[in-house]
Amino acid sequence: MEAGSEKTKQLLITLLPVLALAVLFILFCTFVKAKGYRLDIYLKTIFNQGVVLAVVATGAIFIYTLGSFDISLGAATLFAATVGVLTYNATENFPLMILAIFGTAVACSLFSSILASAFHIPAFVTTVAMLSVLSAVSAQIITTKGGALGGIGIPKTLVKPLDNPPFKITLLAIFFLVCFFVFQLTKIGRRQKFIGGNPVCARLTGIPYNKYAIIAFTMAGIGVGLGAFLTLVYTPSVTTTTASGIGMNIFVAIVFGGMPISGGARSRIHAALIGGFSYILLNNILELALEGSSAYGITQIVSAVFFLAVVCVTSMNYRTDLLPR
Amino acid sequence: MSIRRKVIGTLAIPVIVGVILEAICLAHGQNVITNMKSFNNFVVYTAIVMITTMALSINLNSGRFDFSLGSMAALSAVIGAKISYALLGGGSGSAYLMLAITIASGALLGLASGCVYVILRIPPIITSLGVTLIYEGVLYTITGGKYVMTEVQNVSMSGFVGTWIHAAVLILLIVVFVIFLFDHTRFGYNYNALRSGQKVAVNTGIREVPNAVGCYVVCGALMGIVGFLNAARNTNINGGQLNFGSIAIMFTAFLPMFIGSYIGRFSNDKLGYLLAAVCMSLLNSTFAVFSNSITASVQSIINAVLLVVFLIYLNNEDLLTRLFVTRGKQAGA
Repeated sequence: MEAGSEKTKQLLITLLPVLALAVLFILFCTFVKAKGYRLDIYLKTIFNQGVVLAVVATGAIFIYTLGSFDISLGAATLFAATVGVLTYNATENFPLMILAIFGTAVACSLFSSILASAFHIPAFVTTVAMLSVLSAVSAQIITTKGGALGGIGIPKTLVKPLDNPPFKITLLAIFFLVCFFVFQLTKIGRRQKFIGGNPVCARLTGIPYNKYAIIAFTMAGIGVGLGAFLTLVYTPSVTTTTASGIGMNIFVAIVFGGMPISGGARSRIHAALIGGFSYILLNNILELALEGSSAYGITQIVSAVFFLAVVCVTSMNYRTDLLPR
Repeated sequence: MSIRRKVIGTLAIPVIVGVILEAICLAHGQNVITNMKSFNNFVVYTAIVMITTMALSINLNSGRFDFSLGSMAALSAVIGAKISYALLGGGSGSAYLMLAITIASGALLGLASGCVYVILRIPPIITSLGVTLIYEGVLYTITGGKYVMTEVQNVSMSGFVGTWIHAAVLILLIVVFVIFLFDHTRFGYNYNALRSGQKVAVNTGIREVPNAVGCYVVCGALMGIVGFLNAARNTNINGGQLNFGSIAIMFTAFLPMFIGSYIGRFSNDKLGYLLAAVCMSLLNSTFAVFSNSITASVQSIINAVLLVVFLIYLNNEDLLTRLFVTRGKQAGA
């Protein structure tokens, strides 16, 4: 009997992020309708905001599963998009631009992990350094080529045919399915969860940390590349503030999706997708409810309180006597 | 370890950094510190870096990653600026009043942050994300997202950072206070025990919760001082730092924290943070000398490269030592 109720409780906690997403979606639609705005336009905006965060965060899940984290992903997205724009403007070759975006994104990600692996530096420190370097280099390029406010860009007509939900949903679905396959159905995901759960035990059983860290950072790099490409499809220009919030929003998205930041066995590949859209929906609901620029602060406070409440509820079963670190 | 080795180990990095940077400046017909004004800036910046580094290290050394340092600094500074301006209107003594209020409000913000952590019992990296968002939101609501300028632009504030003496006194007081608190009190002994072995320490009867909350309070108070010094130095406080815009301040403290920990092996890690802050301030002064040719982007890149290079050395020290010893032996043979 007790085991049954425990199972139900577990199931409820597992389903809570999905339920929260559904509730937030219904609330959002209700708010938009009540305000008399066009729901289709608002949904499109939400989708465009959420899809970039969702793809970058889905790739990042592999890093977080290892118990590590990367705060340079936003800066890497900006840098990849910047290199993409520069490539197109120099060659006017669209496929080459895409190749440059993905190549740059994966190279940035791999550089962090190889640096950390080869020289035994904590990965998060290399990502702090990468955050500074990538932001600074991008800012230098953007301000030199296009001015601080104007930014640099590609012709809008080039990406206009791709700026539609079916195309983006297809890209998101393909990337998610690939990640799902690697994470859930291959030994890569299982071993990454093992490393994240108990790195010492994983090492003693012969699982090479460096190999799985490099795979994780590569997957994150692909996510960053896709995020940079989708950013350019939605807004074909890059400024110094492009993708600036992504690096930290990934944390929030992953936690909103019901996954612990510490990684390990409780890591979920769908956490980023659910959490990313939940976070974007919540912010938009609050902005609708508290209209006006002065309400941005209150929106953020409410959003943060909601975030802490969700984490508190979802982590209820994993409390220890000692304070967590 | 002999006293000679301790002294050499403690002073080696700042002396080498100072000599190299001065040589670079001299090669271009300049000096790292050119006049009294640049010396004042040097001491004030040393204070800012040292205090931020200490605040970051208190929790990070205990495995608690705290993103909220920057938001605590900015919010406590705004609270201090608003209250002191309301009471004294920017008149005589308003800088001292603002400093006192900023420290108190910083400590209260730290207390709130610590309470969130110990009550919710979720990893500190997550609570600090939530707390950062809340503090940034409060900051934005108080300021309307605008820069706070009138409240911090007065003779009292400019006088405070217009001389190196105030910053030097702050440095001295804080170093003494932090060394006393963490190395010579029961709180400090408990902190060090919890830091080295959390489970064992708790099992021996050390009360973890008050110690953790105490750490957050100290961090908050220290970041209050940083907020005050930044406000006085920049003559404004940015009130529009939403969506984690305030976290950049903590990244400036990573390099001095690692350098300080290294120097601490030879003496005391708190003294190490001070000397590391001196190194960073010398570097900052050198950047100021070459401000026409070294942009802010290049400065960021140089700082990041230095961080990585130093960590590569730190994490491969044994390997490098073995390599040099082997080569030395081969050369000798």
